[in-house]
Amino acid sequence: MIASYRAELLKSRKRWANWILFGILVVLLLAFGYVLSYVILTHPPRNFQSRIPASVLKRETFPENLLPNVFSSMTSLGAAIMIIMGGLSTASEYGWLTVQTILVQKPGRTSVLLGKLLNLAITTLLITIAVLAAAAVTSYILVSIDGSTSSWPSTTTLLKGFGALWLQLAVWTVFGMFLGIAFRSTAAAIGGGLTYLFVGEALVAQLLRDVSGVKEILKFLPGVNASAVNASFPLSYRGSEAGAPLVSAGRGVITLVVYLVIFTLLGLLIFQRRDVTGA
Amino acid sequence: MAQTLAVETHGLTKRYRTGVLAVSDLNLSVRTGEVYGFLGPNGAGKTTTLRMLSGLLHPTSGTAVVAGASPGSPLSLTRMGAMVETPAFYPYLSGLDNLRVVARYGGVPASRIDPALEQVDMEDRARHKFKTYSTGMKQRLGVAAALLKDSQLLILDEPTSGLDPQGTVEMRELIKELRRDGRTVLLSSHLLNEVELTCDRVGVITAGRLVAEGTIEEMRSRGGHALLIRATPLDQARRLVEAVFSRDRVSEQDGVLSLQVDPSQAASINRRLVADGVDVSELRMSEQSLEDVFLQLTEKAPSTPSPSGGGQGGGAS
Repeated sequence: MIASYRAELLKSRKRWANWILFGILVVLLLAFGYVLSYVILTHPPRNFQSRIPASVLKRETFPENLLPNVFSSMTSLGAAIMIIMGGLSTASEYGWLTVQTILVQKPGRTSVLLGKLLNLAITTLLITIAVLAAAAVTSYILVSIDGSTSSWPSTTTLLKGFGALWLQLAVWTVFGMFLGIAFRSTAAAIGGGLTYLFVGEALVAQLLRDVSGVKEILKFLPGVNASAVNASFPLSYRGSEAGAPLVSAGRGVITLVVYLVIFTLLGLLIFQRRDVTGA
Repeated sequence: MAQTLAVETHGLTKRYRTGVLAVSDLNLSVRTGEVYGFLGPNGAGKTTTLRMLSGLLHPTSGTAVVAGASPGSPLSLTRMGAMVETPAFYPYLSGLDNLRVVARYGGVPASRIDPALEQVDMEDRARHKFKTYSTGMKQRLGVAAALLKDSQLLILDEPTSGLDPQGTVEMRELIKELRRDGRTVLLSSHLLNEVELTCDRVGVITAGRLVAEGTIEEMRSRGGHALLIRATPLDQARRLVEAVFSRDRVSEQDGVLSLQVDPSQAASINRRLVADGVDVSELRMSEQSLEDVFLQLTEKAPSTPSPSGGGQGGGAS
């Protein structure tokens, strides 16, 4: 597995697509989640209307709200980027037929996929650290420019938030990886994953969350459970009237871990058993 | 003394989910230290067989032992290098980095990369991106990847495909060099000249079935011999031999009679022609070429192994 991991590391490090995806993630998070929000809320337009004053709302970009602000961006943007990254990691192997080049080398199929999983886990960990660090530095700069005071979350809260973000990003990455193996096509894996994320779950969760039968089903979906985990890191002020989470944060974590395991095992099962044919 | 086998299959069969029977009841034996040519027309089942031997495809039935172990097992893969069908590498990496990736997967020290590149004459372009390579260069890189493990068994699928004449000659020399080193090479091809020049033994597969196996000489002799006669007057010579042998054993091409007979009858035929006043200017035996035998073998076999169609199914075969 370590040999496979070393090979994966070389491939992913030299793949521009991965760096571009990472760049998009960080730039969009900082631009929309921090800089633009701060600028607009510091100089609100005349027609700005809100139950909460803009001067309070802009505190979302300050260190005290580091975790909820990062989570609000990463729920959709981060999930989408990680689905793409996970999908690329496996589907491209089928597209380029490199899967056959890999599989005629020494490691067995299980070792190959475990090496890939280890690489994705470490990549996701590094992205989590980088995203939180970039957001923390930006929020510090913004609060300094603003001349306000703000406090950082406690170490315990920071660690919990870090763990929660890593878990969520890992679930979406493994989801993408699984789709790549199942569909053996980059377009199908990414298209399928993003359609599920933005249309399948997000729309159903928004429109049908109060329908009793649907509500019970929603409680088992990854996005709903991720939202429940995020809700346990509230803003420092009373935010907008978003609905209460359908499940507790604890159940959310457990469900996400179950999804992580299920996608991993399904991916392994298919990868292990399926024939590798040509183009 | 029984020779050890590098590759052995018993009743190896692959039926795809589509119902296509790509390989049927294949019994193959590749001896240690030989270059074995796996011949067959396109769609005959060559690549499907090599995929099964490399562990990429699971056989529907039958067994195989490759380098003393089950196909696709880490033990078998450690002992073999393979290039199956199109050389497939990461387009965004250089040839050198692609070999680094392959070496890491195979647990091969990086020091093996340069000798492998040298063997296929790719040192100059090793730092260029794979996506810029010509077909021939991709082929060379594929062979270099197969050589990385320095293994005793090499499985090469159409190794000269896409190579220019110079590259083809070099590849042929490389295969001969590998044999001199005592390695076993199983190579598939539909280029008969290439097989004739490099292989010790060949197996002919068509419509998923192995229809013949043997040395090049044995394969040639399967097609029988022809006695070639150049004589004057040719019409008279033809009438004479047709009177002795059946008409369908005699043919004429470019002023030469071709007679399908046993070589031992050459002297008596010559005496008879001379006795009847025919001037015989040339009388010699002609061996059938491997190409003739190949065409006979592959034309005899049914065109499709199953009602579903040829050897294609979910991939190349």
